[in-house]
Order: sequence, then C-alpha cells, then structure tokens
Amino acid sequence: MSPQTTQMFEFTLAALLTLCIFSYLYRDNPFYRFAEHIFAGISAGYYAGLIWHAVIVQQLWVPITHEGTFSLFVPGILGALMFTRFFDRISFLSRISIAFVVGNTAGISIMQQLHGYVLPQVSDTITGLETSGTWYALVGGWVIFAGVVTTLLYFYFSKEHKGALGVTARIGIVFIMVSFGAHFGYTVMGRVSLLIGRMQFLLRDWLGLIN
Amino acid sequence: MTSFLGKQLPLLVAFFAGVTMVIAFFTSEQTISNFAQDQLVWVTIVGGFALMLGAVSITTVSINHIKQRKEGWQYRIPLLVFLALTLGSAILEGTEQGTMYDWVFQKMYTPMDSTMFSLLAFFIASAAYRAFRARTIEATILLITATIVMLGRVPMGRIIFSYLPQVTDWIMNYPNLSVQRGIIIGAALGAASMSLRIILGVERTYLGRS
Amino acid sequence: MASRVAEFLSSIDRRYIFLLISLSVVFPLIFKFPLPVAISPETQALYDRVDSIPDGSTVMLTFDYYPSTLAETEPMSIAALKHLWRKNMKIVTMSTVGLGGPSIAERVMATMAKEFNRTYGIDYVNLGYKANYTAVLLGLGTSFRAIYPTDFYGTPLDSLPMMQNVDKYGDLKFIYIVSDNGIVDYWVGLANAQFGASMGAGVTAVMAPKFYAYVRAQQLVGLLGGMKGASEYEFLVGSEGMATAGMGAQSMVHLTIIGLIIIGNFAYFWGRRRR
Repeated sequence: MSPQTTQMFEFTLAALLTLCIFSYLYRDNPFYRFAEHIFAGISAGYYAGLIWHAVIVQQLWVPITHEGTFSLFVPGILGALMFTRFFDRISFLSRISIAFVVGNTAGISIMQQLHGYVLPQVSDTITGLETSGTWYALVGGWVIFAGVVTTLLYFYFSKEHKGALGVTARIGIVFIMVSFGAHFGYTVMGRVSLLIGRMQFLLRDWLGLIN
Repeated sequence: MTSFLGKQLPLLVAFFAGVTMVIAFFTSEQTISNFAQDQLVWVTIVGGFALMLGAVSITTVSINHIKQRKEGWQYRIPLLVFLALTLGSAILEGTEQGTMYDWVFQKMYTPMDSTMFSLLAFFIASAAYRAFRARTIEATILLITATIVMLGRVPMGRIIFSYLPQVTDWIMNYPNLSVQRGIIIGAALGAASMSLRIILGVERTYLGRS
Repeated sequence: MASRVAEFLSSIDRRYIFLLISLSVVFPLIFKFPLPVAISPETQALYDRVDSIPDGSTVMLTFDYYPSTLAETEPMSIAALKHLWRKNMKIVTMSTVGLGGPSIAERVMATMAKEFNRTYGIDYVNLGYKANYTAVLLGLGTSFRAIYPTDFYGTPLDSLPMMQNVDKYGDLKFIYIVSDNGIVDYWVGLANAQFGASMGAGVTAVMAPKFYAYVRAQQLVGLLGGMKGASEYEFLVGSEGMATAGMGAQSMVHLTIIGLIIIGNFAYFWGRRRR
C-alpha cells in the first residue's frame, strides 16, 4: 500500500469512528455503543501496556535483574498485594499497599497545601494592599482582598449567615457569581474549541475541503 | 493476625509513610532525604500496579457479562479484542511509534476521545438556551459576566467593542482571581487537615469497609 | 400569537440547536475572514520570559494532557517548541498523564524534530510517564534518575548526551507546562514552592480561570488559556497554525450561543408575562 493510500485509510477509519461518536447527538444507537466499547477496550489496554513497560520493566525488572537493586522487591510485593482485592479471603492485604500510597500522599500534601498554596496566596493578597504602586494597582489589590475574604466567609457554614456575616456573605456571592460566570464563559470556549478541532479534522484532513 | 494485617498494620504504614515525607520537608539530613527519595520511587511503582487493577477489573466484568449473556453482551467482545490487541502489542512490540500499540492509540483512540469531549459543545449550547435564565440578581450577574467573557475572549469581541478584551482581562485578574484564590486557600486548608487526619489514623475511609 | 411564538421557542427540539452549532463551526472554517489579534498580558508575559532565557539552555516541556483536548493543547505545544528550538534550547519532555501523554509527546516531538532537524538524545529527550504524579513531581526535585532510571524507550539517562548534566529541577532554566487538568496545581505546589523552579503554563480554557491566582502570586510567570491563548502564542512566534485557523469559528459559535441565551430568556420572560 502506498503512503497516500495508507493515510487515506487511516483518516477514513478515524472519520468513521468520529461519526459513530457524533451519532449520539441524534440518539443512543448501536454505532455509538460499538465505538464506545472499542474506546474502553483500548484505554484499558493502553494503560496496562504503558504500566508494563514504564513500571514493571523499567522500574522493577531491569533494576533488580541487571543492577541488583533488591530493595525494589518491597514495592514489587506491595504492588502485587493490590491484586489480592480480587480474592475475598485475602483482600484485606491490599489495604497495606493502599495505606502506603495514601499515607505518602498525605505526608506530601500537608506541606504542599500550606507551603505551596496557603502562604503564597495569603501573602500576595496582603502585599497587594501596599500603597507603593499605582492607584489602579491599589484599587485592584483591595478588590482582590475583598473578594478573597468575602468568598471565604460565604463558604463558612458553621454560623448562620445573619448580621455582619450575612452582609459579607452576600457580597461574597456577588464575587462568586462573577467568577462562575467567567468560568462558564471559559468552559464554553473550551468545549467549542474541541468541536472546532474535530471539524478541522473532518473538513481538512479527511475531506480536503479546507487548507 | 488478620485483624493486625488488615487494620493496625495499614494504619501504621500510613503513619510512617506520611511522617517520613513531613520530616523530609524540614531536614536536609542525608539519610532521611535518601530514605524519603526511595519511598517516593516505591510509591510510583505501587501506584503503577494500582492502575493495572482497572484493566483486570474491566476484563473480568466483561467476561462475566458475556458468559451470562447480559444485555449488550455483544459489545463486550470488541472491548476485549481491542484490550488484548493493545496490551499484547505493548508486551510483544513495545510502546513507541511504529508499533500496533501506538497506531491503535493515535488512529483510533485519539479521534474517539476528542469527539466524545467535543459533544459537550452541543450540550452546553442546548443547556445555555434552555436553562440559562436571568431569574434572580445572582443569575443575572453570572449571565452578564459569561457574555462579556465569551465575547471578550474571541477576536470578534474586539470588533464589536474595542475595550472588551481589557474588560475581560480585568474580570479575570481581579474578581475572578479573588474568588479562585479564596477557593484555593479554603480547599488547601481542608486538604491539609484531611491529610493530618489520615496520617494520625483518624480518617480511615480509604481502607474501605471492614 | 405572541404566546405561541414564546411557546414554540421554548419547545424547539435540541437537535435543531445542535445543527445550528455545527453550521456556526463549519461556515467560518470554509469561508475564512481576517480577524484582529489581541494579546492578553498573561500570554505576553510567558512569551517574554521564554524569550529572555539564554539560547542553548536546557528546559522542560510537559505533555500533561489527554487526547481529548488536543485541539486546545497541541497548538500550544507546537508553538512553544518553535519558540524553544529557534533559541536552540535542549528540551526534556515528560508526562504525568498516563492515558496518551507519552505517545502524544513522542509524535509531536518527532514531527517537530524533523522540521527543525533535531536529534533525539542530543537536542531532546522524552522521559515518558511514571505513575503517581505527586511522588513523581516531588522526586524529580532531587533526582531525575531515581524516578526515571530510563527514558520512554528504556535507554538509561546516563547514555543520553543531553542528560549528562541534568538531574534535577535546578538544572533546568524553565519548565513549560502544557496541561488540560489540575496537575498545574502540583507543579506550582511542589516544583515551584519547594524547589524554586521557574515555570509557566498553557492550559485548556476550562482550567484557566483558576490559575490566574498563581500568575498574580508569581508562582507562574505567564498563562495561555485555551485555543485563544494558543493562537496568541502562535501570533507571537510568527507562525499561525491550527489555533489561529479556529478563531473565526470560535467567534461565530460564541455569538450563536449568546444569541441562543438571549432568545431563551426572551421566550421565558415573554411566556411568563403572558401566563
């Protein structure tokens, strides 16, 4: 097969699968379900194949057999214990591996959250109020300060939103609506871009209607 | 013994794994740093095995589906065929360009995945038409902001009103930023306290039912 | 009559709306028209920062995205690569996304390497993927070789000429993240906060609003938001690509959706007043 024929075959296959998925817009149908199940099969196979090479071969087999890093038996065994979940009688053993991963992530997370997010974000909110900049920057700094404080107070549910808390929470909801509106606008933008991408494929690569 | 392996040992493991990472953050002592680095490597390996569970699970569920002739069992056949094809190719040929594994991903999976997400453009448009109503002041604020941002972030918005991009920049950099910052701070404090609860063994739901 | 119009507008089959959206995308793609480009300050900041990196430096370019968002993210990767390779930089790539990331990285890098005549191992390296991104991003701060004993192809890092003096974030001049998910949080919270790595990000539009907070706090030097951000970067590097080509359709669909919102509200309030 010539390269052009191969490419045309590939584009046509991709286009047919694209149309199978698009057919869902009309209603659920066998073409969509067929494509959907191929999709699920490939994703599971892709992940398993990637892990086979990236983890089992590159991180375990080669270091243990070629370099004698026998300490890697520990994560190897912990990893294997994960599969005890499929056997009711010994499934409790998988908890040890899960606990190892979750505990490690929790340990990292504590410092990550406080040192990586809370302190820099609080710090910038406060330094934004410094009067050394232009009036525009200063007003902006106060807008941000007000938005941060009122948003945090809006999400404070341990006390009823009445009195002073009620007023600030009310201001908070205005800020939140502006942000969610912006988020909605961006979400529309993102989803539309993905559709444009598919149409570019169909019209340009497959049908050759556009350059 | 079962109780120790299934209850106490996981809590101890989580405690030591977590504490190691916290201590490693504060110290540059070589032994601790090396141990923490080894632990990180181990976690990437164990995490890899966890991802394999999904493939095993979908295989067993699909085989049972076919065996019991459940509704739509026929669709499970292409699922298993493509799973086997992709995985088999990875093991026999590898994962790089030129292999069946890469071909199936680039030529079949990619168009399907992209199309699935592009469907959301249609649904979001339909939802905007049916449900996006200026019923209250809050909803009106949301609607107006969304409209400004949608116009301000595309080239045509500048033709309609030349200051729209600047107005959008201001919305994104001040009111939007402040709310996102509030959410980041709030969520970070919540995540930090949850992490502490996990390390101390107060939070145990991740272990599942007893 | 009026109430009948309102009722008709409220009960339109959604498939007509789908058709309208499809046409709004297709027409501008076929019948192109020139549009002005407005560069947002965040895009300009990212471009300027990359431009200020000394030629020939080693940087990282991440492929932290799924195939589902290629329309937004791939043009960013391509535009970034053009910028980086025009400055003769050495590029380390990696992915924290298992489902496709390393394969997309391989395809994009191979295609662009052909265009720029670059050689694998000398001008760029694909580290591939390792599981558990939290541990990966923290571990890379101390040793690339511990987390990635080999590259994507199983070659030990020491055998790759480009990697001889690269083993931690400190050996990189910049990290250029392209992502469609929350991994940017982890890059910021771990690589930037704990190791001081300088970084900027190109992200999908859905994720972008959140990351303005990091730009303001200087945890990110700049930000590209969605296909629009990609088109701005394409404009800055002087190479208009797929993102720029999509801006006409993007404008048209936004106008259509705004029109739909206005009609929907009109039908709702008119119908309610009649009742």
